[in-house]
Amino acid sequence: MTVTRQPVGDARPASTAPSRLRVLSWQALGLLIIVGLWWLVTDGLKLYPPYVFPSPRAVWTEVAYGLWGTGPQDGKLLGAIGGSLRRVLVGYVIAVLLGGVVGLLMGAWQPLRATLGAYLTGIQSVPSIAFVPFAILFLGLNERAVLFVVILEGFIPVALAVSGALLNVPPALRVAGRTLGARGVGLTLRVLLPAAIPSVLTGLRTAWSFAWRALVGGELLIAGAKSLGEQLEVGRNTANVGLVLATIIIIGIIGGLFDLLLRTVESRVRRDYGLEVPQ
Amino acid sequence: MPSTRLRTLRLSRAVSLLTALIATPALAQPATTVRLGFFPNLTHAPALVGLERGTFQKALGAVKLEPKEFVSGTTLSEAFAAGQIDIAYIGPGPAISAATRGMPVQFLAGASEAGAVLVARKDSAIKTYKDLAGKVVSVPSLGNTQDISLRHILSEQNLKSKADGGDVTIVPIPPADTTLAFAGKRADATLVPEPWGAALEAQGHRVIGSEKTVWREGKYPTTILIVNAKFAQANPALVTAFLKAHSEAVAFLTKQPAAAQASVNSELDKLTGAKLDPRVLQRAFARTRFTTALDADALREYAALNVEAGYARTAPDLTPFLRK
Repeated sequence: MTVTRQPVGDARPASTAPSRLRVLSWQALGLLIIVGLWWLVTDGLKLYPPYVFPSPRAVWTEVAYGLWGTGPQDGKLLGAIGGSLRRVLVGYVIAVLLGGVVGLLMGAWQPLRATLGAYLTGIQSVPSIAFVPFAILFLGLNERAVLFVVILEGFIPVALAVSGALLNVPPALRVAGRTLGARGVGLTLRVLLPAAIPSVLTGLRTAWSFAWRALVGGELLIAGAKSLGEQLEVGRNTANVGLVLATIIIIGIIGGLFDLLLRTVESRVRRDYGLEVPQ
Repeated sequence: MPSTRLRTLRLSRAVSLLTALIATPALAQPATTVRLGFFPNLTHAPALVGLERGTFQKALGAVKLEPKEFVSGTTLSEAFAAGQIDIAYIGPGPAISAATRGMPVQFLAGASEAGAVLVARKDSAIKTYKDLAGKVVSVPSLGNTQDISLRHILSEQNLKSKADGGDVTIVPIPPADTTLAFAGKRADATLVPEPWGAALEAQGHRVIGSEKTVWREGKYPTTILIVNAKFAQANPALVTAFLKAHSEAVAFLTKQPAAAQASVNSELDKLTGAKLDPRVLQRAFARTRFTTALDADALREYAALNVEAGYARTAPDLTPFLRK
């Protein structure tokens, strides 16, 4: 049974709820404070040599060269973002499709759930980076090895979310579906799956963050093509800490933006399903 | 108010103590140990024989020598940046990168020249540099000396790495792992320092670029000796003593090659747990030149190649980094 989540003790009328603008301005202030502190310990007090902890200015220079620089060696971060996004999207789509099918099978068949489901939970606890050496030996030092790790990391949360969501569909819906003549696959696809969508979406969001982390970990070890992982490795190897920090920030921003997007879709769907009360 | 002043004083003391703890350690007082960084490669042979024969320790007298072994210039450079290494044998690639980023580095002397070869896997169709198109080529690490050489070779053939929009995949594989990488067909060719090139050749793989055709007809530094500039300033006598020992090690390598090879092999055995076939070592030795001379022109060209490879935007003026 899915529990309807409603903010407890929040009795404020909708009009006094913090406006979007206010939240944004608080976030901007927080960012300013962080950058200010960062400037203080680097350029301000010079607590660290720049080759250990570069200043915000040095990192910004790397971002500027990497994203919109026009020199022959510039724009590499932009290319890296493109390469990494392409790789993660391909891996993510495959992971979602594969996870969806496996999840449906597990949801429909108890023995599979008891065996495969348990193993998947175990595999999920292994950090993705641990699979990289195996992937390299198995598939070679190439993109396929990265994709393997991304798909492996992405498909497990989807499969577990789908099978879990199917089991959590209110029995009344199952009974109602049967009464109206739905059986077997039809019942699963037409009645149970639609009812399970909100929980599945949560799984998709988890899968995204797993896949993104696995991608960067894999790319770091399998450098070679345009990728954010390669930029990290190049930064490290050429003692360019500014590039390392710039890449880390970009990885965080992209991961956060996609999470925000999926979160928006999720909460919209939850609202449509009556699981969240609009403020 | 005295209490406020006291507090300010305490605070400033705490800050300076904290700074000393977290930033590079202060090196003002005379050192009691010399921390030496090097790799277990033939191109670092002066380090190997200097350690094996006790040349360094003898020159340093009561000051203790602490040798630290590294597998790549990257980790060595990181240790150098963190202030954990005083003197190091390192490739010009990472050394120039360190200078570019403003690390306190001083180039002391040359150690070895040439000594790197481009080897193709025996079952690959690679015969010349042109055949590297579409292939996977390994280097010890991205941005290291061999990587910069490889990118230069590729650009002369109008080839580019995949990350630069071309079709040659450049992957970092530690030289000791290239045998396995070739066996698993994970790489089609590799640009490695000796003795790894000769070791691969002994397994039947083909040298397609000799130490002479890789760059500047072999007249380029492969390993140089660097020192932390702050350490050098605080301990000029130690640096001079170490340099003298380094010259002795190089002289031994050039004047008594047979004895030197035995010494290198014994030290490699100690470090890696495996002795090299003497014939492999001999071949690798013949491709490497040992010298204390530092070819400033070659270093400047390296700095330019570093820019060409995209690892730096400007070539630093190396003059202030060279020991007068």
